[in-house]
Amino acid sequence: MTSRIHALLLALVAAVISTVVLAAGPSYQIEVDGLACPFCAYGIEKQLGKIEGVQTIETDIQAGRMIVTMDDGHTLDESRAEQAVDRAGFTLGSFEALDAPATTNDQ
Amino acid sequence: MTHCRRKTAAGPRLLAVVAIMAPGLAQAAPQTFNTALPVAEGNLVFREQFLYRKADDDPSPARRDLRVIGAITVLGYGLTRDLALFGALPYLDKELDLDGPGGQRLERSSRGLGDARLFARYTAFKDDAPGRTFRVAPFLGVETPTGDDDERDRFGRLPQPLQSGSGSWDPLGGVALTYQTLAYQLDAQFAYQANTEANGFEFGDEARLDGSFQYRLWPRKLGSGVPGFLYGVLEANLIHHEKNEMNGVRDANSGGTQLFLSPGLQYVTRRWIIEGIVQLPAAQDLNGTALEDDFTTRMGFRINF
Repeated sequence: MTSRIHALLLALVAAVISTVVLAAGPSYQIEVDGLACPFCAYGIEKQLGKIEGVQTIETDIQAGRMIVTMDDGHTLDESRAEQAVDRAGFTLGSFEALDAPATTNDQ
Repeated sequence: MTHCRRKTAAGPRLLAVVAIMAPGLAQAAPQTFNTALPVAEGNLVFREQFLYRKADDDPSPARRDLRVIGAITVLGYGLTRDLALFGALPYLDKELDLDGPGGQRLERSSRGLGDARLFARYTAFKDDAPGRTFRVAPFLGVETPTGDDDERDRFGRLPQPLQSGSGSWDPLGGVALTYQTLAYQLDAQFAYQANTEANGFEFGDEARLDGSFQYRLWPRKLGSGVPGFLYGVLEANLIHHEKNEMNGVRDANSGGTQLFLSPGLQYVTRRWIIEGIVQLPAAQDLNGTALEDDFTTRMGFRINF
């Protein structure tokens, strides 16, 4: 009986995780000019994180690149990303939607 | 006649100035002065720096020995992309031992909050490129008389420079420059503080030129993600003080010029920084019988909110 409950719980957790994963929306690659140290990265991540629908932000400091993944049903506009980077005191180098055909403005 | 050493009296004041001028608040910043790097709009940066200073190289027969233990609390806020506001409040415990007129050893001390420093910094120029940035940021502010300037001990009122506060409103300004890459960072600053009179005493104005070089020691090679950076630091501070004035008369045993060289370390992550540095006097040309510095150590941390 106990093992059946455990199996049920595991299945439930797996279902929740897969739902969350599946709920991820489009991703965008942002290159930030001027990004040169970890402390800088936080300010930019915080500004990007304020945008409605942002689910995760992964930063690669060596490349000066951030991958922003949105919640399902949300998109990120280049001008909004540029505004966030600007408010952090840096400059948007490039903006690219990763899940869509070549475009720089996925709205 | 300008062969000098720094006057005992000027010591605490200099310490406070050096310490509080130091809210190199953002990024892998200098530890002994300001930086031009941004505080993101809406972000708060908190810095706490603990220090210990010793100055006991006394050319006078008084055998003065000055020790200062303190903590400097700094808060910075990014009001806009370019404009950041800073406040710094020192807490200093100063102790001066010296020989009295009868040859007995005397101790005079003060302890308490010092003068708060408030200033605004504006990023007037920036040039960003992949993996590097160059910034120029003038700043303007005032040192406010928040510290007690009428402390007394059993010998009477403490000399003004040994007081926790100056009692005066002292405007200050300058410009900070920063060039930062993934491998290293260079900072420079020129600052001037015009001290005003209070209680019949006026500290001499201060002009200073500072430089800092921070080199990433670890990781040597960057991978993906945002690893913590360990920087080796070397800073230099060239500081000139005009002579103090007491009741309109210049004090021949105050003011002068000092050059400090300071090796240090700094570990920088996204959210916090820990850092430490030792300021060593490389050259001291102080007026009269002013007391020379031996060393100042600083250790502290910063947190990004």
